[in-house]
Order: sequence, then structure tokens, then C-alpha cells
Amino acid sequence: MNARSEVQAFDAADYAGAAVPSGAAAPSGAAAGTRPAQLRAVQVTKNFGGLNALDNVSLDLRPGEVHGLIGPNGSGKTTLLNLLSGYYQPTSGAIRLGEDDLSAAPVQHRARAGIARTFQKPRLLPMLSVLENAVLGAWPHARSGFLATTFALPWVRREDQALLAQATELLHGVGLGHVLNRRANLLDHAEQRFLEIARGLAMRPRFILLDEPAGGLTPQEIEHLANVVRTLRDSGIGVLLVEHHTDFVFRVCDRVTTLNVGRMIRHGLPDEVRLDPEVIRVYLGA
Amino acid sequence: MTTTVPASKIAGLVFGALLIATLPIWAGDQYQLHLAALIAVYWILIAGLNLVVGFTGQLSIGHVGLLSIGAYGFAILAGKAGWSPYAAMLASGALGGVCGLLLGLPSLRLPGFYFAMATMAFAMIVNELVMANPDLTGGGVGLPGPLFPAPFGTPTGFYYLVAGMAALVTWLTWNIARRMWGRAFISIRDNPVAAQAVGVPVLRAKLAAFVFSGVSAGVAGAVFASLQSYITPDTFVFELSLFFFVCIIIGGRGSLIGPLIGTAALTALPELVAPLAKLGNLFYGVLLLLVVLVVPEGIGRVFEIVGERLRPREVHREPVSPDLPRLARALKERA
Amino acid sequence: MGTVIVSGLAIGMVYAAVALVYNVMYSTSKVLSVTTGHIAMLGGVFGAYIIAALGLHWIVGLVGAIVVGAVFGWLTEVLAIRRVLARSDEHLWLLSTLALATIVQHAVALWWGTEPKPFPRLIPQDFSAGVMDQKFWLPVGCAAVMALGLELFYRRTMYGKVFMAMSEDAFAARARGISTDRIRLVSYVLSGALGGLAGFAAGQLTFAFFALGHALTLSGFIALAVGGLGSNVGALIGGAALGLLSAFASYWFGGEYQQTVAVGLLMVVLLVKPEGLLGARNVRPV
Repeated sequence: MNARSEVQAFDAADYAGAAVPSGAAAPSGAAAGTRPAQLRAVQVTKNFGGLNALDNVSLDLRPGEVHGLIGPNGSGKTTLLNLLSGYYQPTSGAIRLGEDDLSAAPVQHRARAGIARTFQKPRLLPMLSVLENAVLGAWPHARSGFLATTFALPWVRREDQALLAQATELLHGVGLGHVLNRRANLLDHAEQRFLEIARGLAMRPRFILLDEPAGGLTPQEIEHLANVVRTLRDSGIGVLLVEHHTDFVFRVCDRVTTLNVGRMIRHGLPDEVRLDPEVIRVYLGA
Repeated sequence: MTTTVPASKIAGLVFGALLIATLPIWAGDQYQLHLAALIAVYWILIAGLNLVVGFTGQLSIGHVGLLSIGAYGFAILAGKAGWSPYAAMLASGALGGVCGLLLGLPSLRLPGFYFAMATMAFAMIVNELVMANPDLTGGGVGLPGPLFPAPFGTPTGFYYLVAGMAALVTWLTWNIARRMWGRAFISIRDNPVAAQAVGVPVLRAKLAAFVFSGVSAGVAGAVFASLQSYITPDTFVFELSLFFFVCIIIGGRGSLIGPLIGTAALTALPELVAPLAKLGNLFYGVLLLLVVLVVPEGIGRVFEIVGERLRPREVHREPVSPDLPRLARALKERA
Repeated sequence: MGTVIVSGLAIGMVYAAVALVYNVMYSTSKVLSVTTGHIAMLGGVFGAYIIAALGLHWIVGLVGAIVVGAVFGWLTEVLAIRRVLARSDEHLWLLSTLALATIVQHAVALWWGTEPKPFPRLIPQDFSAGVMDQKFWLPVGCAAVMALGLELFYRRTMYGKVFMAMSEDAFAARARGISTDRIRLVSYVLSGALGGLAGFAAGQLTFAFFALGHALTLSGFIALAVGGLGSNVGALIGGAALGLLSAFASYWFGGEYQQTVAVGLLMVVLLVKPEGLLGARNVRPV
């Protein structure tokens, strides 16, 4: 999957000037009609009372890419993440998945549409085991109804075991195979982070939004995280990586967007963004 | 709820089941048999309430109102209207479910304290309505609770009826607790944001648990009326709701065995320890406060802690090391 | 008819006073305590005990009621709030205050008896005074004094301003060096004193009765929810609305549907405007 060349081809059309046309701009290059659905924030502005958190920001996340979102504290990264995942609604602008407008869709709807996310502080169920926490993510695919479950109809058990088996594979995949039955409140920080990712993957998402997943990880663990993220990308998932660890972002991402005080200041390939003078000023300046 | 159950637990459950099944033989007298039947009746309600309080974490303190509705429904249908007690019991269950739906729809979307107050008010309203319609409910005088026909008309027969029903309710809630719905309920209790993030329909799930608990409370009310043979509004005081609630909290939220043992213990205790009977509700209050301050996860947790101290198990700390090919394969298997 | 209005207003002001107590506790702890109604119950019971049973002057009764209330407020904070707030489970405080409320209610039942006992006259007055009977205007006066007093307290005194700061942002208050634990304790003692005073003033209307505990907790809460959490003016309005509605419902339909009517009012308001008439909208939790 050669995401990089596709990325370069689409960039110019999508980000030329401030305006993004409401129908997708015709891409140069191949397969315009069958371009897979993107998750996009289209010129979103978000105000909280008198405070402007985001001002006319656009971002698109494609399947099979890792898109980094960086910026200093207060730049609006988490706000944008919350807009994409459904915890806030934009004051103006839209959130789109392919052709569908998700702006008013509740969080649960986005989960069913294939958008998974992790949180800055992992949100786990402390009294359940690692396996049970992970399989919770399979909820959108659990078709057994409440009554069927209550009366233990035969397919309920089959489905449950299948979902548990899939979650087990995902847990082994992210590196938590040795703690499957450990209670989640006994996990250390890195294990908690990887568990949340596994839970997100159990949703079989098209997109996964990671909120500062490298926070508190050792360099070794960050390396593991990078490998996992690359594997996700290679399997066709679109990964949004909101991060403070800029080295990590530049190493692993295909495209990077930089925010500062609610505005996008630079977007492009990692090397371009890293060497951009305004980005450097924002990070190294006062 | 992990999938493998240790042998010791299975042995314990089998032993317990045997004890329960043979109870009329070894129980001392009619009084103890009556007590055992009362525990079973309470458990029919509490098992359902457990899904609401112990699993979805909704602090409902008004379920005595649903018990009352079930009891009066049974007494009126099987007594005054001459229905078959079985039909009346099923109708009580349905009535409890409908009232659970009507109560739950507006209140379950409210924050915790508001919801608790709404359920408390519900219990008071039920009593008010009972007193306000004496033609139907006998007002302050009350109504007799009809017996079930043979073979359940005798104390021993009735005991087996309610014990069987209690076992059934236990099986039903166990089915829910160990599958995805049970995990979804727990996510609503412990981390509603996470529940939303994976797509759990929070309000609908709370409502499902609440309506289930309404049905079980209605059925419990029916057999309660029969067991007590006479019901008055004084039976259905708010403190009974508190009692149900305390059984679950003390037993431990998120488990079935804990609240079951809690119910048996708290029902039997005032009967066996005479000074406690006089203190009654004061005792439950003190117990609840102690549990909340010292072991909020319930007394079941105390046993776990003791067990861990006796058999310390090393917690192996291994670094997280992803198996990337396995991950890639797992991701490819997605629908 | 006049009696209906006056009695409705009077009992409404008792509810309003309880709602004011809720507000003071809530401002510093973000907790709604189940013991709130019980503080008022204790004020009434101890007032009656001191004046009628011990035969002392009513001023002693008044001071006694306030002191008992303050002590119970202190007890609530120390036993049921302080240790519980530290834990992550947010509804443990509901359980602990419920437990404490039950303990107090039944301890009083054991000591004082389960029959409502009459509350002695405070000022010599004929029992044929009709609408001018002190049992009506004592609660009204008390609620007015409480509301005014709290207003002055919040605007003119240092402590009051600290309360308001804590209520808006406890974290920021702590960062400014305010000992939030101590302030919370003070607020509970203060609310206890106020609650005891309210119960004392209401005694002739409600009688000294152990069951008032849960009843006032619920009715005071309805007044609070209708008027809007955090608003003292709302508490007065909510209390008046509830009191008058109950009184008229009793007058027209007989006293049998009082509770139903009260809860009906609550439900209607909550469905239309969940934050109450004068309450503020909550900020999202994520």
C-alpha cells in the first residue's frame, strides 16, 4: 500500500488556499471515483462561551495512513479530537465521514460507524480483567439482544466465545498476552495504554484516534507503540496520532498537522513540517 | 466474570445447592422454614435489583414500591377477582415491568442523587395511592394474600416453589452478567464515557436492567403476599427498600454470590440475634456506613483480601512486547 | 382559602430553607447530602425536648437546636463526606450520607418515640389566631432571614467569597492557597446550624417527628431541583411553588395525593428544564 505517493498527489488539491469545497476536490492521479471514505473536519470552529478553541481548522484522515496532530498546550488538539469522536459539536463547520455529515451524531453513532478512540488518561473498567475490558470494544458487533442473552439462547454463547477469541488475538498482538486474566486496576501505565488500544481495535474500526498514547511510556515502549501503529496503518486503518512527543510523531507519521492557539499553522509531510520555521518558533519560542 | 471457574467454587455451589434443596428436612421448625422462604422471596427481587444497583450502578432506593405493586396486584387479582394464582403472579410480574418502564424512562437520564430521590418519591407515591383507594386495596386495613394451590399450598411446598423461582432468577441474571450485556452494564457503572466510546446505548441499557428488575420485583411481590398471608401498607415502608439496597452493597457490586449471601445473612441476622431485631433499621444503617467507609467493594472483597494474604501470588511483571504478525492477522480477520 | 395560601407558603418556606441548606453544602463539596432533611428534623426534635421536656426558656431551645444542627453538620462532613470524596467512586457519598441519615432517623425514633409530638409555643399567642398564627410566619421569617443572611455572607464577608470561589473552581481555589478541606468543614457546620434553625422555626407547623428526616430531604430536594441547584432565589421560588401546589392539591383533592402532586411538579420541571428554573447548565464531562 503506497500511501505516501497518494498523499502527495491529493495534498495540493485539498489544502490549496483556505477554502475546502464541500464536495471532495477531484484528485489528480488514479482511482478518483473509488477513493475510500475519509474522516474529515471541514473548516470547524469551536467556541466555549466566549473562548475560541478552534478557528476554521480542516483536517482529513485517510484509511491506511498515520496522521499526526501536534501543537503546544492549549492549541486545540484535544478539542479537535473530541469533535471528531463526538463529544463536542462544532460551532460552525462540519465533521464528515465520506459523504455523511456526522456533526450532530452522538458518540455511540460514531463508534458504530467505525471510529474508535483512546483517552489521555486511560478509561478502563478497574474490576474487570484485561480480556473483559478488551472484548467490551466488540460491543458494536455483538448482535445478541438482551432477551436472547437472558434466556441463554444457543447463539449467544457462540458469539461471546468468538468475540473473546478475537479479543484474545488482539491482546496478544499488542503485547498483553501475559496478563489476559489480570484485573485492570493492577496494570501498570504502559499496559493500560495498550489495553485501551486493544479495546479500540476490538471495535474493528476504520479509524482510530489516539490521544497522547506515548504519555508516560519508556523509549522501549514508545518503540513498541510505533510498531503497533505502523501495523495498524498497514492493515488499512486510518490512525490519528495526537501527541506531544514530536520525535515519535515525525518518525511514524505519513502526514502531520500542526495547531497553535486554535489555528492550523502547517500541514504536510513530516520533514516539511519539522523544518518549518513557524513550527520551530512555536515550539521553541516563549 | 472470567470464563474458567475454579473447582473449589463449583464444589461450594453444589454444596450450597444441596443444602437449599434439602432444607425442609433439616430446618428446625416451621418458623425457620418460613424464614428460608422469605429469603428466597427477597432474593427474587434483589437478584433483579442487583442488575440495576450492582451492575449498572443506578442507586435505586424505591424498589419497595414495585414490591408493593406486585403484592397488591396479586392480592387483588387472585383474591378479589378470583384469578388463578399463577396467572395473577405473571400479571404482577408484567405490572412490575410496566411500572419499572414508566418510572425508569424519565428518571434514568437524571444524575445520581436526582435519580435516587425520584425512586424514593416513587415508593412514597405508591403507598399514597394504596391508601387513597381503599375500595381497591383495603386502605389501611389491607388485603389477605391468597395461597397457591397444591402442591404449593403447604409451607414445604411453597418453600420449593419460591426456592425454584429464586434459582430461576439467579440463572437469568447470571446469563446476563457473564456475557456482553453484563460487561456493558459494568461499563455504565464504572466508566460511562468508555461505555459511550464503544457504542453502548447507555439509557436503553439502564432501562433494560430496570425493567427486568421491575418484573422480578412484581413477581416477588406476588409470592411475598402469599407468604405473609396478609399485606398492609405498613409492610411496604421505605426502610424495606433500604434493606434490599444494603444487601447488595454489603454483598458487593458486580457479583451474584455476594448479594445472595448478603440477603440471607441480613434477613436471618435479626431473627437469630434478638437485640438486633429491636435495633432493626439502625443496624442496617450502621452496617452500610461501615461497609462504605471501610470496604466499599463489599464484604466479598474482604474474603478476597484475606485469601490473597494467605496465598500470596507473585504478580509477574513482564514488559509489553507486541506480536506484530499476530496483530496483523487479527486485524485482517475483521468483517 | 386564606389559610390554604398561608399554610402552603409556610410549609413551602420550610422546604425552601432545606433547599438553602443543600446549596451551602453543595457549594463547597459538590455533594447533595441525604442528611439535609435530618438536620432540620433534629432542630425541631431537640427544640421541643429542651423547651417542653426540660422546661427551659425558648432561647435555650433555639440555641440548642442550632448547636445540635451544627454538630450534626460537622458529623456529616467528618464521617460521611471527607473520607469518601477522596475515592474515585463518585456515588459513594450518596451511600454514606444515606447510611448516616438512616442511623440518625432511627436513633431518634428509638429515643424520642415514633409519634409526632407537639412543639411548644414560642411567643404567647392564642390558638385562634388563624392566618396570623406564628406557626405560619415563623418559617416564612426564618427562610427570609436565612436567604438574606446568606446573601450578605457571600457578598460582604471574606469567608463567603472564599465559598463562592470554591464553588466555581475548587482546584483554582486550592492553587491560591485556600484550605479547601477546612472550608468544606466550615460550610457543613454552617449549613448544620442553619438547618437546625429552620427545623426549630418550623416545629409548630411540622411537629417534632422522627420521620421528618427523609420527608424533608425529599421535599427540600424537590424545591431545590425546581428552583435550580446553586440558586438561593431559586430555592425560595421552588419551595413556594411546591408548598402552594401541595396546599391547593390538598384543598381541592383531599390530602391523599400530596406526594404524587409534588413529584409530578418535579418531573414536569425536570423534563422541560433539567437544570431547574434558575439553575445553570452543566459543562460536559470529557
